[in-house]
Amino acid sequence: MPEKQETLLRTRRLYQEAVFDTDRERALQVIREAVDQGVTPEEIVFDIVTPAIEHMVQSISDDYDANLAQHFMAAEIASEVTAEMIGRFRARPAAAGRVVFGTAEGDLHSLGKRIVIGCLKTLMLDVTDLGVNVPPEQFVDAAVARDAHVIGISAMMSHTARGENGCMGVRRLLRERRLEDRIRIVVGGAPYRFDSDLYRRVGADAWAPDGITAGNVIVRLVKEMKQ
Amino acid sequence: MITGMDRLKAALSGETLDRVPVFCNLIDQGARELGLPMREYFSKGEYVAEAQLKMREKYGHDNLWSLFYVGREAELFGSRCIRYSEYGSPNVEDFVIKGLDDIARLEVPRDVATHPLLEEPMKCLRILKKESGGNYPICAYFSSTMTLPSILMGMERWFELLFIGPTNVRDELLRKCHEFFIQEVKAYRENGADIILYSNPFGSLQTVPPRFFKEESLKWIERDIAAIGPSGVVYYCGTSRMDNVIVTVLERTNIQVFYLSPMDDIAIAKRILAGRGLTCGTINDLRLIDSAPGEIREEVRRIMREGTPGGHFLFGTGVMPLGIPETNIRAMLQAAFEYGSCSRSSS
Repeated sequence: MPEKQETLLRTRRLYQEAVFDTDRERALQVIREAVDQGVTPEEIVFDIVTPAIEHMVQSISDDYDANLAQHFMAAEIASEVTAEMIGRFRARPAAAGRVVFGTAEGDLHSLGKRIVIGCLKTLMLDVTDLGVNVPPEQFVDAAVARDAHVIGISAMMSHTARGENGCMGVRRLLRERRLEDRIRIVVGGAPYRFDSDLYRRVGADAWAPDGITAGNVIVRLVKEMKQ
Repeated sequence: MITGMDRLKAALSGETLDRVPVFCNLIDQGARELGLPMREYFSKGEYVAEAQLKMREKYGHDNLWSLFYVGREAELFGSRCIRYSEYGSPNVEDFVIKGLDDIARLEVPRDVATHPLLEEPMKCLRILKKESGGNYPICAYFSSTMTLPSILMGMERWFELLFIGPTNVRDELLRKCHEFFIQEVKAYRENGADIILYSNPFGSLQTVPPRFFKEESLKWIERDIAAIGPSGVVYYCGTSRMDNVIVTVLERTNIQVFYLSPMDDIAIAKRILAGRGLTCGTINDLRLIDSAPGEIREEVRRIMREGTPGGHFLFGTGVMPLGIPETNIRAMLQAAFEYGSCSRSSS
């Protein structure tokens, strides 16, 4: 095996282990050492960080006990490394798609949003963070203004997930403004995890059980829309 | 007449009187029961107590709640804004810790028991105690030391501090939360609380990694429970699973009641506890909003079938969402009374 390939594989393994141990310092150290050994910023992102996120998605589906802290740290470390490496790319990469993301109106829980946005940035999506307590009009206006492919809505409470001013309100506006073929809606948060059909009843196109998986679900939707 | 307290005591000792105890956590429903807007409802201890007593009488479950809303704990630390909704629980809108520097300045309320903001909850407790005559266990909610920061600074910022931030700042905040926790439990116990719901999502391996649980979560769980004593304490991780920490928590704290997540496997939890404690099998109450009464009955039957063999079992709900129709609350409770009855359990 060529030396470079060996270095990449070793770095990927060490980086994944550090992320799984929620050890940010060790993960960053692994990346620094790889850079010192001649691994390029592009290789760090596309051959180490992105596969680590995808590996975590796979682990979550295989292992029910993957925990929230791991999701948080994986997204944090990945977005931190990606932001730093992109600045050193020879050419700025084109965004894989555009997403606007926020929590439903009345919902102030921002942890899930942060995890998802961290993943999306790593996966080269252009994300606009609309913050918390976002009314349906703001979601749709922002999506139109940024020509977004996907609106992401996080809701941690039953009434914000199901209410008229959450996803249902966004769906209504997309329909009224004839935007349904241009913009998809993805939802996530505890109420959807405890009722896996709920996303359909509130008019979403897809849902994700956790922040890390949400990144992949959104990437898939964006790809479908671009076809 | 057999009371809720009788049923609970029997279940704790592995016996079943007429039926399994049934805990139905109706909190925000009280406002509707009295026809009051949320903000007004939670302004008076008399209102909350009256609604709790009325709902218990109406539905026939076995417990009463002294909880107003979780954000009251943040208000005691100085949070100035609670966001009310007519469709769900009030939420903390103003986090008292906006930056790490605020942690050094954060003051633990000096005398929680006589704090003006606890006057109404304490009044509620005293009314419940007097009116129920000790016949129905009165539950009180407490954020554990490690959980309380999430409503003082928001879960996102707390995760950041907990897993990335300076450990000395994190530990200073935890020490302050611990000091508050002890005072708060003492105040509620002195005013009549029977059940101490120890809420701690950070005590679940669905929230934190195993190593963090062993090195950090468990340390604070032990301190919390050593300070208040395990009597009447119920271990609760919110909606997170706990099956893989039950043994450790039982052996290290002597807590004897475990309120499972709907995602936990009841049979496994019972096997782990093996009669050393009480298992509460919890229904996924978010599904009660849309399920048909027949489906609800089936789900209750499943829970009872898994939980009742060998006794030491309690049937419970999560924090029932306001959107659950009354017919479905009745369908669930009717099924719980029926499938949890002594004759059914032993047959």
